[in-house]
Amino acid sequence: MSLKINPIFVEKVLTGFIRGELAKFGFRKGILGLSGGLDSTVCAALAARALGPRNVLGLIMPYGDSFPAEVRDAEKVGRVLGIRTRTIDIAPQVDAYFAAHPTRSRILRGNKMARERMSILYDYSAREKALILGTSNKTELLIGYGTIHGDMACGISPMGDLYKTQVRELARHLRVPASIIRKAPTAGLWSGQTDEQEIGLTYAELDEILENLVEKRKSGPELVKAGFKPAVVRRVAEMIRNSEFKRKLPPIAKLSPRSVGHDFLYPYDWGR
Amino acid sequence: MKIALAQIAPRLGDVGRNLELHLEFMDKACRVKADLIVFPELSLTGYTLKDLAGDVALDPATDPRFKKILARSRGLSVVLGFMEERAGEKGLFYNSAAFISGGKLLHVHRKVFLPTNGMFEEAKFFAQGRDFRVFPTPFGKVGLMICRDFLHYGASYVLYAGGADVIIVISAAPGRGVSEGEAFETSRMWELMGEAVSYFSTAFVAYANRVGIEDGVSFAGGSFIYGPGGRLLARAAYLDPELLVRRLDLTAVREARTKWLFKRDEKPDVILRSLERVVRVPED
Repeated sequence: MSLKINPIFVEKVLTGFIRGELAKFGFRKGILGLSGGLDSTVCAALAARALGPRNVLGLIMPYGDSFPAEVRDAEKVGRVLGIRTRTIDIAPQVDAYFAAHPTRSRILRGNKMARERMSILYDYSAREKALILGTSNKTELLIGYGTIHGDMACGISPMGDLYKTQVRELARHLRVPASIIRKAPTAGLWSGQTDEQEIGLTYAELDEILENLVEKRKSGPELVKAGFKPAVVRRVAEMIRNSEFKRKLPPIAKLSPRSVGHDFLYPYDWGR
Repeated sequence: MKIALAQIAPRLGDVGRNLELHLEFMDKACRVKADLIVFPELSLTGYTLKDLAGDVALDPATDPRFKKILARSRGLSVVLGFMEERAGEKGLFYNSAAFISGGKLLHVHRKVFLPTNGMFEEAKFFAQGRDFRVFPTPFGKVGLMICRDFLHYGASYVLYAGGADVIIVISAAPGRGVSEGEAFETSRMWELMGEAVSYFSTAFVAYANRVGIEDGVSFAGGSFIYGPGGRLLARAAYLDPELLVRRLDLTAVREARTKWLFKRDEKPDVILRSLERVVRVPED
């Protein structure tokens, strides 16, 4: 594997990005959802170093008391980093909806919860004048392992170009509690769910395939020749292809000579 | 000679599916006894390729899918668009047009003018062609251009000066601008050029554009054929798929050139000398 990073250098780039983007858009504070997992912890740690801990607000948004250990971990992260936290139970709004529109689908319920958290984050972003920091990593962005307009929604994405294995390496450098680095990553969709079980691959395996397909631009057949299982390679390639819509703004039907997104093109940091 | 313009909507990034589509339209063209079928730009791959360019590129000398078309080209000549990557030029992806006839690849034209502005980003992903030339075919001398090539009128001039009887343009021209007309405003631009080039080159101009939508962009259709002397012979629907078939009387070239003496009186040597001066001596 050559996904090795220099965590000191990466920290410098990413804290500079967080500080710079917030300043350009007139924010002093950052806000993010704290799940007690690795990605949001690393993001919070970067934000605390970039902005000062008191300028970071972590929202802990459990569904009732279904994941007590995760809530305890999230509170611990808040204490260790010295950032502000606030706990908001999303059960009332989620239950109100599903009482009227029942479903047994864990996926539907999980997506709804992710979007309720998003709506609370955006509400608190306005209340607190704080920019939302996304916690998605490159691995999940590439395979589409996230809820569109849910956990994928954010103001800026400091971690979007770091594979999960790189996030873990950065976490060690940022002195994230070992228990959080060690525990099995979970999207918290249901009790006992882990990412690796659901995806059917360990993050180490997944990242190695992604590195070959994306960074080295290898083809599927080349990977199979190099010893990867054909079915696995095909599945990862399909996950990438089938989730492109999550990584894009929706297509605008072009009519005029100058259409938003097509040929009305300005930088994100326009005049900032 | 009977020509068929295949105004199709290829599937983006799916060469296998598009090969089927080509064979299907070739069958249709055979049934109406066409001698030549012309597919649009990047007809084998779709247009908005971006990073897919390398995945769908093929070497016409060895690719089995290309050979299937070669095998079917006895009795029906084919012009198609594909992403070209030769064994000897690995990693260079050309937006190319092939002229295939009698089981042989007669000519490949690589797009010279790669639009890279506004909504277009071809030069970000494609390598640039460097030549325009005419070549002999069963239907007289033919010259190929791809989409934007046709809007640089020097390219048409080279084909005209080279003695082209038929100028074939394959295109994936998106429609831009809507007002009260029945088509996108940009369609007029292509028709104007088709009329002017056929008029003053006293040659046939066949323009095969595509239809369909990619990433929100609608391709305008409206493929057309102009006869020597600027006469509109046929035009396909805007926006909808169609196989536009038309018999061309190739003696019309001689007729036009005896009526209008542009070709006889042409002075490419003077043009060349003047161009050399323009290119070499910078204006002060």
